[in-house]
Amino acid sequence: MSIWSQPTGSLIVDPTPTIKNYARIAGDGYYIRGLLRTLWLSLATTALAALLALPLSWWIVRRAGRFRGLILTLVLIPMVCGALLPTLGLMNLLGPLGVINGTLKSLGLIDRSWKLLGNQTGILIGLVHAFLPLMVLPLVSALDRLPRDVEGAAMSLGAKRLQVWRRIILPLSAPGLIAGSALVFCAALTSFVTPLLLGQGKVATFATMAYQQASLVLDWPFASALAMVMLAILALIGTAAWGAQKWAAET
Amino acid sequence: MNATSRLTLTTALTGFVLAASAASAQDFSGQTLVVGTWGGDIERLLKEHAAAPLEAATGAKVEFLLGGSGDRMAKIYAERQNPTMDVTFQNIYEAPQLLADDLVVAPDPELDMYKNVWEGMNDGCYAMSLVGLGIAYSKDLVSEPPEWADMWNPDYKGMIAMAPYPSSEGDGLLGVAARLEGADEHDADVAFAKVAELGEPALTYTSLDEVFALMEAGEVAMAPMISGYVLAGLKEFPGIGFSFPSDPGPVLIRDMVCQVKDSPNPELAQMFIEYALSAETQKAYAEEIYFGPTNSTVELSESAAADTINSPEEVDSLLALDWPWLIEQRADWTERWNKDIMGQ
Repeated sequence: MSIWSQPTGSLIVDPTPTIKNYARIAGDGYYIRGLLRTLWLSLATTALAALLALPLSWWIVRRAGRFRGLILTLVLIPMVCGALLPTLGLMNLLGPLGVINGTLKSLGLIDRSWKLLGNQTGILIGLVHAFLPLMVLPLVSALDRLPRDVEGAAMSLGAKRLQVWRRIILPLSAPGLIAGSALVFCAALTSFVTPLLLGQGKVATFATMAYQQASLVLDWPFASALAMVMLAILALIGTAAWGAQKWAAET
Repeated sequence: MNATSRLTLTTALTGFVLAASAASAQDFSGQTLVVGTWGGDIERLLKEHAAAPLEAATGAKVEFLLGGSGDRMAKIYAERQNPTMDVTFQNIYEAPQLLADDLVVAPDPELDMYKNVWEGMNDGCYAMSLVGLGIAYSKDLVSEPPEWADMWNPDYKGMIAMAPYPSSEGDGLLGVAARLEGADEHDADVAFAKVAELGEPALTYTSLDEVFALMEAGEVAMAPMISGYVLAGLKEFPGIGFSFPSDPGPVLIRDMVCQVKDSPNPELAQMFIEYALSAETQKAYAEEIYFGPTNSTVELSESAAADTINSPEEVDSLLALDWPWLIEQRADWTERWNKDIMGQ
């Protein structure tokens, strides 16, 4: 459908093949900027999720003990309740009248509300919150496979704590990290509810652009072309992650 | 058995026979009419005032399919070889598009329900309800019911909330902005430049409550909004007012009810539309959710009359946009809106 078009004045699609939808995406800075913005948001989400998930997963594997099941459940909760509920919850938390701004105001720390919604900050918070479990789960299983005594062994040979992480733990947990990153990146790239609600219509991502075209403008062929571009990017990332996994396994 | 009781029995029997024959003439039991509309109050009112009497009179069942009007457009186009929906409620610019693409039955000027609607409003489909784009405002920040021009007061820069685009609200605002500059919506450059002067919107709202909460907190000063739901919602927000401006007047927006072409139950569909356009349903729309009746024979209570568009003078004072032309601009204007107004 992405190579079809609608004649002027009608919404009935004309199935004569055309590349004009793709030309429009490539030729208009608006869509390219939107694509770059989406990629950037997904990358930032992946990096933040990895930063948060590494210590958390380590803690779950090594220190949580009998609370492990409980903590893993807590980490998983945002995933099982869908995208909408947590996002609406975050809106209440981050909004100008929300808990964070309300607390800061009542403590006298700020006069006017911080803008946490309607910009990339809000979207990033929402995306990291939503997709952190996708990073934690593969990491937990990767770290679980490390022998319990590698840390002690390395340190007995004179390695510092940071060196242990950099030279031993990170390389050995790389498959988990790569799998988690690919999952989080793809989930963030295609996420729709979170940028729509937390971006308050001011931050356009590729998914919200496709939604606007499909459900509001009713230009279905163009919306399909946007979706196809997203699909192509997902395929690229899938291939890259697969390649990286192989490389990590070999080294 | 005396004469009177014999007479009563005869009458009752005759009545029974008549009722039975009437029912058999219009017996649609076993059939299901599918009606696509918005959820919430609209669905409730249609269930009470159109679906219930239709089911009682015909034995058919009425099934509601809820969602946004854009979803229904997609469904109608996708199923155009084999429609499953009989009746659909669409907005002011979707209805003429559907008729142009030959997907709905053209309104029939010979029917009473057509004639009862204000003249010139059955455009594409039958006109269901009348609302106007006016201004919702925070009574704390804006002391008097504002005119359109007041939105451009520098004190309120960045404090205006807007609906997502494309929408009747967005097109309405562009049409008003152009008129404030002495042009009209056909002059897109003027319209967009003027709306861009408002600055980035305080928020693009997805629900009315969101705007109202921020208005009461003094974060949003004004928002172009459609009467109806807003007026109904305001009863819970004493700090918020709604103004029908006069220069230019509120932008006319109406909901339309359409009979899908070649649908499975055309007779039932037409009957449903008759109930929907009846004075009784239209009165309930006005009294309960402040949607103005399109049926010119409806008589309203004083309070509903004050908050709805229901007299010929009020109808005349509304600003009518060139919707067919606006539809053609949709794709270009959406990109322009995203770039010029939302700064993306």
